[in-house]
Amino acid sequence: MNYVFQFNVVWEHLPELLAGALLTIQLSATAMALGLGVAIVCAYGQSAGPRPVRALISGYVELIRNTPFLVQIFIFYFSLPVIGIRLTANGAALAAMTINLGAYASEIIRAGIEAIPRGQVEAARALGLKPLQTFRLIIIFPAIKTVYPALASQFILLMLSSSVVSTISAVELTAITNSLQSTTFRSFEFYFVATGLYLAMALGFKAALSTIYWAVFQRGRAA
Amino acid sequence: MKMRPKWLAVVLMLVLPALAAMPAYAESTLDKILKEKKIRVAIDVGNPPFGILGKDGQPDGSDVAVARQMAKDMGVELEFVQVPSTGRIPALLAGRADVTIASISVTTDRAKAVMYCHPNGALSIVIFGPQGVAITTPADLAGKRIGITRATLEEATVPKMAPPGTNIVWFDEIGATIQALLSGQVDAVAMTSFAGKTVADGNPDKKIETKLAVTTAYYAPIVRHGDFELREWINTWIFINTNNGVLAALYKKGTGVDLPPLPIF
Repeated sequence: MNYVFQFNVVWEHLPELLAGALLTIQLSATAMALGLGVAIVCAYGQSAGPRPVRALISGYVELIRNTPFLVQIFIFYFSLPVIGIRLTANGAALAAMTINLGAYASEIIRAGIEAIPRGQVEAARALGLKPLQTFRLIIIFPAIKTVYPALASQFILLMLSSSVVSTISAVELTAITNSLQSTTFRSFEFYFVATGLYLAMALGFKAALSTIYWAVFQRGRAA
Repeated sequence: MKMRPKWLAVVLMLVLPALAAMPAYAESTLDKILKEKKIRVAIDVGNPPFGILGKDGQPDGSDVAVARQMAKDMGVELEFVQVPSTGRIPALLAGRADVTIASISVTTDRAKAVMYCHPNGALSIVIFGPQGVAITTPADLAGKRIGITRATLEEATVPKMAPPGTNIVWFDEIGATIQALLSGQVDAVAMTSFAGKTVADGNPDKKIETKLAVTTAYYAPIVRHGDFELREWINTWIFINTNNGVLAALYKKGTGVDLPPLPIF
C-alpha cells in the first residue's frame, strides 16, 4: 500500500470540523428534548386515551419504526413541498429526527409504564386522582426511571443517525466532513477524525445523561 | 542437535548473495489486471448521461460504454465498482478500483491526488433553473439558493464565481440535487449541460432553462499515481479509438452531441 497519510490537512481544517460537531450536538439535543415530549404524549395517549386515539398513535409508531430513517427525511425535505409545506434542510432534519425519536421512545416509555405495579394505579384511583393527575404524579416519574438506560441509548443512536441528514443538505459534522474530503481528496484522514469526533460526542452525551439521571432521580431521594 | 551437512552451508553462501543482488520487481497494476484477467472500473450511475442505471437495472451511459469497450479490447473481465459522486476518487485511491471512468473533469487540484489519462470527452457546467427565477449575470446569484453536488467540477468552480450572499446548498448525489430543484427547495442548480437537458426534457411543466454558463472542461479516466503502464495502455486505446470513430460514436449516443477534438497531454 503506497498511501501516504497526511493528517496535517485535517488539523488545518479542525475549526470547521469542531463547528460541525457543535451543530450536530445542537441538532441532536433539540431533537432529543422535542422527541421526548412527543413520546410522553404518545405514551399517555396509548395508555389512557380513547380507542381512536390509541389506534392513531399505534399507526404512527408502527409506520415510523418500520420504515427507513433516510426515506423519512427524504419525504420531509423533498415530498412535503408538493403539498405546500417547505422546510429548510435543518428544519426538515429536526422534524424527521423528532418524529423518529418520538416513535421509538414512546414504545420504550410505554414499557416503563406497564412495569408500574397495578397497586399504585389502584391506590391513586382510590384517592380520587383523575387519570391525567395519576399519570403526572404517580406513573411517569418511576416509568422513566425504570427505562432510563434504554432511553439513553436511544438518544445516543439518534445523535449517531443524525449523520444521515447530510443527504438533504443539512449542515452538521458529516456534511462538513464530506465537503472537506471532496476538495482535499484525503478521505481516510477526514473520516477517521470524524469517527473520533462522533465517538467523543457519544461518550459526552452518555456522561451528560448519567449526570441528568443522578440529578433528577437520585439526588436527595430515598429510593 | 543434528549437525547440518557442510555442503548446504556452501550452497547457501553462494546462492543468497545472488538472490539479494537481483533487482526488486514490483508487479505493476497493468500486470495484475492481465494476470487476473479482470479490471475493476469505478463508475457513477447517478450521473446522466455519463453513467445511468438502464431500464434493466444494469449500468449504462457513455462512460460506462467506454469502460465496457475498453475491457473488451483488453481481453479481460470487467467488474464495476459503483460509487457516488464523492466516492469516485477515494475508491481509486483506496485500491477498490484500478481505474475510474466517471467523467472526471481535468483540474490541477485533482491532479495532485490522481494521474489523468488522455481526455475521452468534454462537458460544460451551467446553472439552470425554472423559468420564474431571474438569473442573467453572476451578480444575480446573490440571495438565491443554488444546489451543487459535492466532488464535482461545479463544486470547484461555482463558489469562485458566485458573489457573497449566494446561499450554496450542498448535496452528495446529483439525483438529490435534481430533486431539490424539482421540489423547489433550491432556486437553481449547477451541473453539466447534458444533465440539464435531461432534467428539462423530463419535466416540461417546470420549464427549466439554462441561466448561466460557468465553464467547459475535458474529462478523462484516472489512475493512481505510479500506474504508468496502465495509463499508457489507456492512452493508446484512446488514441486508436479516437481515430476509428468508436469514442465519437459512444459519446454521441450518450450525450447527443458530436465529440469535439480531444487534446493529449
